[in-house]
Amino acid sequence: MIFGPFLFLAPWALLGLIALPVIWWLLRATPPMPKEADLPSLRLLDGVEPREETPAQTPWWVLLLRLAAAALAMIGLAGPIYAPGAETRDANQGALLIIVDDGWQSAPRFSALIDAARSSLDTVDRDTPLHLLTTAPRSLPFDPATRASRQDMGQRLAGLEPLSWAADHASALSRLEASGLKPGRILWVTSGLETGQTQSFAEALVKLAPLSIYAAPPRSAFAITGLTADAKGALATLARANTKTEASLYVSALSGDGTAIATAQARFDEGSLTGGARFDVPPTALARAERFRITGAQGASAVWLWDSAARRQRVSLVSEGETAQPLLSDLHYVRRALAPFSLIDEGTLADVLTAEPDAIVLTDIGQIPEADAEALTAWVNAGGALIRFAGPRLAAQGDNLTPVPLRRASRALGGALAWDEPQKLAPFAQSSPFFGLTVPQDVTVRQQVLASPVPDIDRKTWARLQDGSPLVTAAPLGAGTLILYHVTAGPDWSDLAYSGIFVDMLRRSIAAGQGQRIDNADGLYAPGLVLNGYGLLEAPSDIAAPLKATEFAGLAPSEAHPPGLYQGPGGTRALNVAEAYMPAPITNWPAGATLLGEAEARTFPLAGLLLALALVLIAMDLFVALGTAGRLPALRRYAGRAAAALVLIGLAGFAFPVDAIGQPQVPQSAEDRALEAALTLRLGYVMTGDDETDTRVREGMSTLSLTIAQRTSVTTEAPHGLNIETSPLELYPLIYFAVPENAAPLSSAAIARLNAYIRTGGALVIDTRNGSSLGVESDFSGLKTLLEGLDAPALAPVPGDHVLARSFYLLDAFQGRYANRRLWIEASTITPGERRGDGVSGLFVGDADWVSAWAGDERGRGLYSVDGGKQAREYALRFGINLVMHVLTGNYKEDQVHLPILLERLGEAPPVDNAPGLQDNTPDAPPEEAPEQSLRDILDGLQNRPDPENEPNE
Amino acid sequence: MTTPRDTLRNEAEALARRLPRLSAQTRASEAVHLGSAGRKRAGTGEDFWEYRRYAQEDDVSRIDWRRSARGDTLFVRETELETARSFYIYADPHAGFNWSGHAGRITKADRARIIMMAIANLLSREGERVGVLGSGEGAAFGKRALERLYTQIATPARNLLIAPKHSGSVIIASDFYDAPETWQARLAPIAARCRSGILLAVSDPVEEDFPFKGRTRFTRTGTPFQRILGRAETLQADYALKLAENRAGMAALATHLGWRFITHSSGDTALNGGALLRQSVLELGLKAGLHK
Repeated sequence: MIFGPFLFLAPWALLGLIALPVIWWLLRATPPMPKEADLPSLRLLDGVEPREETPAQTPWWVLLLRLAAAALAMIGLAGPIYAPGAETRDANQGALLIIVDDGWQSAPRFSALIDAARSSLDTVDRDTPLHLLTTAPRSLPFDPATRASRQDMGQRLAGLEPLSWAADHASALSRLEASGLKPGRILWVTSGLETGQTQSFAEALVKLAPLSIYAAPPRSAFAITGLTADAKGALATLARANTKTEASLYVSALSGDGTAIATAQARFDEGSLTGGARFDVPPTALARAERFRITGAQGASAVWLWDSAARRQRVSLVSEGETAQPLLSDLHYVRRALAPFSLIDEGTLADVLTAEPDAIVLTDIGQIPEADAEALTAWVNAGGALIRFAGPRLAAQGDNLTPVPLRRASRALGGALAWDEPQKLAPFAQSSPFFGLTVPQDVTVRQQVLASPVPDIDRKTWARLQDGSPLVTAAPLGAGTLILYHVTAGPDWSDLAYSGIFVDMLRRSIAAGQGQRIDNADGLYAPGLVLNGYGLLEAPSDIAAPLKATEFAGLAPSEAHPPGLYQGPGGTRALNVAEAYMPAPITNWPAGATLLGEAEARTFPLAGLLLALALVLIAMDLFVALGTAGRLPALRRYAGRAAAALVLIGLAGFAFPVDAIGQPQVPQSAEDRALEAALTLRLGYVMTGDDETDTRVREGMSTLSLTIAQRTSVTTEAPHGLNIETSPLELYPLIYFAVPENAAPLSSAAIARLNAYIRTGGALVIDTRNGSSLGVESDFSGLKTLLEGLDAPALAPVPGDHVLARSFYLLDAFQGRYANRRLWIEASTITPGERRGDGVSGLFVGDADWVSAWAGDERGRGLYSVDGGKQAREYALRFGINLVMHVLTGNYKEDQVHLPILLERLGEAPPVDNAPGLQDNTPDAPPEEAPEQSLRDILDGLQNRPDPENEPNE
Repeated sequence: MTTPRDTLRNEAEALARRLPRLSAQTRASEAVHLGSAGRKRAGTGEDFWEYRRYAQEDDVSRIDWRRSARGDTLFVRETELETARSFYIYADPHAGFNWSGHAGRITKADRARIIMMAIANLLSREGERVGVLGSGEGAAFGKRALERLYTQIATPARNLLIAPKHSGSVIIASDFYDAPETWQARLAPIAARCRSGILLAVSDPVEEDFPFKGRTRFTRTGTPFQRILGRAETLQADYALKLAENRAGMAALATHLGWRFITHSSGDTALNGGALLRQSVLELGLKAGLHK
């Protein structure tokens, strides 16, 4: 039943409104409840007629209140729904066909589409047949002829997900026609973007039945349509559907494990459908990128997969065992030169040959073992590029795998006994692959191997010295190429390795060698990881089928070939959904169709609201009744004051929304706070906006700060609650971020600030606080969306011997409110080999709910229960102290642990029993009897400089 | 709900200690007392004591002719001197009397009992006989009688408003809210036996002030009788008038019976009430003397 924009699910309940006048009459006639009183002397009043016995009338406003409550309750029970679009849609009763575009263009606003479709269910009668048609082709499509009940349809719609391939309206139409369904009306929810036959589809639908269209085009950029990389960075081109305004957003380059490598801003000019994001990132860094993603956008098109074919060639460096001085090794120079552009692996010749790289670099290897030489020759014949560098060993005894025969000696130039000056490079010949490179004048060659003069040496020479002797020679062998640099790869024989031209020459060597043994056009590629409709990588379904290499170009993704990474003989190849896509928003819909606006496509059930209002009114009436009966004498007496207090409390609540709760402090200006934080050591915590969480974190951090000040010489003042987007994060050595459940993703500005904070040496502790969940494995899935774009390095669980476990106390575990939870820190800070900065992780991620364990009242008693009771709480506090100590002192403590060994090496220390070695500093943990103390004793005895741990602020 | 006997007793004895003794005045008026207590000597009384020879100063009407007719000598019949009196006390057992208008305030009945017990204590110490009206036992001397009185008065429901076997003085405590005519009917049999008596009207401040406002449903305590007043405050003046009428009517009834009517408010102190009752008891003696 419909009244204007309102629908009623149970219109008969409205008949109750007829009773309102009766209620009005009853309420008028019934006096208020009398007070009760005992009076033995009542007998005295026998025979006394009261002067005014007519009951006091119910005040008009009480009457109004009660009538309003009754009316609201009745209307609420009638189940009203506010549906602005209902009038237009109710024109024709009959089967309702809901058509949902679930192609990738719909993904950015898929929930809006589904909401619109589900809202339409409110506008139909209980018995209206409902039918569903989805337009993206799939192997088991919904049969539009299947009739569903309202509840079934609601579930079916809720279960829909966007697909990662495009809608095919032509096939959808043919399916609809084949089903023979004659709908009474049609609701079509669509992205509003042309996908080929969209226009004609709409026209066909209009002819079929009255058509309502709800179009929700993506609001901002939603697709990366291409990506080009060069030596200075990369350029991503983006597409959007809305051209009205300027826009800027961010695109992140992500590594294989999801770490953000770089973020670039993309700009859209007004009126432009496309924009670009320029990554000014060194190729070294960009080389790690495997995919690009529009920050905050949803859908398969918001992700651009970068395959190996588009990216780099694979080069293998043959290293015959580690050398003692790696920085002087020739390979080092090659590695550094090629790393930005190529995928490098190293190993023995036999190893690298099995990897079948594009190019193999050999530095000064004279004799290749017979077996390897055969394999190597076969590989070069198949198309590999073998790049060799000369050296003393090659000069002494070369083999046959050189472009030109070599003389059995090297030539030294400019030596004491030599006639010649060290030679410079000659300009490259036009036929040389190096042609175009600028020849630097400061590169000299002091020694080289000489080629035997053979007739075709000119043809084989790529670079020569000024005196004409060949510096780089090359010769084809089978499909591959042999390239020889007549100098060492290192600086022993020439300055070439110091020069920038070395990099370019090497790149061109690889490229000119074109060592792709596998032709790109060959082979079958099987789907490895595919993108789902939301733009997340997942394992391919059974339907996903392999692709021939030749089929990649111009292939539109489909269910059989979903967008994703395909594994094949030539490495991985990517199939991107929006490649070269040009969005075409549809503006001229067919004349017969009704285009629903945002509001019209929505319905708002009002029953709950009205019933709640009625209840509130009834509650108010209760107080009113009590008041008139004189049952609330206290209330009446204090009513004035109580009201004033309520108003004051309310005002105070508005004035100090979060800070004031439980912490009655004078509100500070941001500047004061910053000054406070700068002048005294304070810990910070992120204000999440969730009161319960914030209170808890403040309690926990306060207690921790207090405990640290009590137990250590670090004087931490009361912690500050921070707003990521506005507060000066850099003033806080440690920021605790207790992530509330279902938190909204952080804004890109917040992420950028957090990134800057971590990068500049801050420590961010992220606690999901859900360690109570079953299972030992921590579940950080919520973090993924929350911290989208956070420049998080690879994380690893903290090993038991990490310095965190002994920076102040010796700990076995990192006890929080929940016991036996893992703490994750940056992986690079764990392995001693590759330390960043002070070895302090910028990120600590866990779920043990430490703040709750820390939180205590003013007398130090715990506020929340902790796994393991009082003792566990103590351990939790110790962990907190260790954490802060670790953050404040860096690897200083770790050095302390090594001090005895250092001293022993210097021969100055008293003999230390059981001294752990430098490398194996932990397997057997230090004994419990305060080794800290003994270490400090040693320190005090030997050094008089102030202990940094005791004076952390100096 | 009845207050335990011992609580009442303690309060009553404390009150009795604070009140002056009755003795001085009683002794002064001893000769003129009319009572029923025999003093083992000739005097005014009802019981026969002895025959003695007629003396000239004796009134002729006192000659006992029946005795004198047996001989030549004229005899006068002497009766035993009766100076001691019996005092009977009584507290209204009606639920409305055992009521207090405020949670912290003593009930009217308790206040009345305490005052009467204190006075009984004083009387007993003076050698008077004390007892509880309608308890089925007469008034008696001594400590045991006093203890018995304490016990009996503390269980008011068992006492009946009936005339004592022997004459004496009665102290009747109630709120006297029933009409004076009703009370006259009730008290007439007692007044026939007891020539002196005190009506002690104890009322609660609430009953005096009628501080009610607004729509109120009144219940007469102890009865199911209810009455709803739309605006109680309008009846305040009427109530005050009715209360004054009632008190005047009771006072007239007391005068008619030759008794006294005193009022006490439970909002007042027990000491004031005790002093008032004591004063009335003393005046009872004076009045009796005047009668003589």
